Amino acid sequence: MSVIDEDEALIVAALAGSPHAWEKLVKRYECRIFNQGLRLMGNPSDAMDLLQEVFLGVYRNLHRFRGDAKFSSWLFRIAHNKAIDLSRRKRLLAGTPPNAEGEADSLESLPADRQQEPEISLMHSELNQRIIKRLSQLPLAQRLVVELKVFQSMTFEEIADMQDISENTAKTRFYAALKKLKQTTEDEHVLS
Amino acid sequence: MSCPKTAYLLQEYFSDSLSAQAGAEFDKHLAQCRECRAELDTLLHTRQELLSWQEQRVPHWDRGLELFKREHAATPPATGWFARWQWAPTAASFAMLCLLLLNTSVSVSDSGFAIVFGGAAERAEIDRSLATFEAQQLAEFESLIRRFEARQDSNNVQFLQAVMEQTQQSTAESLDRIYAYFEEQRLRDLQDMQLGYQQLADSDYATLRSLQELAQFVSYRDSAR
Ligand SMILES: [Zn+2]
Repeated sequence: MSVIDEDEALIVAALAGSPHAWEKLVKRYECRIFNQGLRLMGNPSDAMDLLQEVFLGVYRNLHRFRGDAKFSSWLFRIAHNKAIDLSRRKRLLAGTPPNAEGEADSLESLPADRQQEPEISLMHSELNQRIIKRLSQLPLAQRLVVELKVFQSMTFEEIADMQDISENTAKTRFYAALKKLKQTTEDEHVLS
Repeated sequence: MSCPKTAYLLQEYFSDSLSAQAGAEFDKHLAQCRECRAELDTLLHTRQELLSWQEQRVPHWDRGLELFKREHAATPPATGWFARWQWAPTAASFAMLCLLLLNTSVSVSDSGFAIVFGGAAERAEIDRSLATFEAQQLAEFESLIRRFEARQDSNNVQFLQAVMEQTQQSTAESLDRIYAYFEEQRLRDLQDMQLGYQQLADSDYATLRSLQELAQFVSYRDSAR
């Protein structure tokens, strides 16, 4: 059975009430969503929040899923939208007023202790921490494009469709993000 | 010295649909422009660094299984104080039914006068207990709402305090927004609960009314015997 067929079989079984099928379906994708959450949200506890919200959304809408798109595409679209929601909510709760696009969503204002939770950070490789730190310098819109392009290997056409922007805007954002990441790397080298 | 073509060319380089011709032109330019070459190198290096990400394991979580099982169970188990409490009116109705029937049969066996039995006095008694019962239910419903509201408020206050301590930069505006958010949540919760209970109470009053009719029917039938 192909991955797609297997997903669909699990969905049908889950809709029929099989907890085993549901668990299997979640297990297939939780790791990708969690790692995506780490890169987008910047810390394990928010990544867990995202993971839970994504699968709750999937669960609540599973009956609406039609086989005309891949389950994984549908899932990652939900994850994309939930990441935006969650970032907005966090910003609201942190009392950071929304600025002009560009600087609005950076994670720099996060309290430092949230990024260093002891038990979970043990599993963090130093490399991942560095990547997270670098990504956190980007505004959310750019971070999302990097995530979709580099980590999810999506085409600009797909990214444009998901974010409801033009393909050109997607390209420009990606290029701007890479430039900014490059700049951050250089700053790090100067400091160290 | 900076090359005016860098931005445009590199943006195109990372697009998915670089035509063979554009690719050849790009290569040609790169061969002679150190600026663009250096920029491309660092960008590729940056992307490569991102790709050195190591997949991390997901911490233990329940995968929504509890919710799944709860919602798919044939008879969902009652949880929480509200779910336990909601059976009380039904139990009370049942007790009332027993009382009414018992009351009637005792009267029948004790009384030789079929016509007197089930008379106005007794029905007034039944009506009075029914009214008391209804009043009790209403009072309990109101106290339930008050308890629920109090619980919500204390939850929100605690959460708000936690948020404030964490951010320590509580502008009046952000406070307003947080408050509005919780107020909205609270009202929605409350509405849900009221609706749920009202339905329960309605069905219960319907039970009561049919009980009342049943009691009257029983005494009528017995009196006609
Ligand atoms: Zn050049």
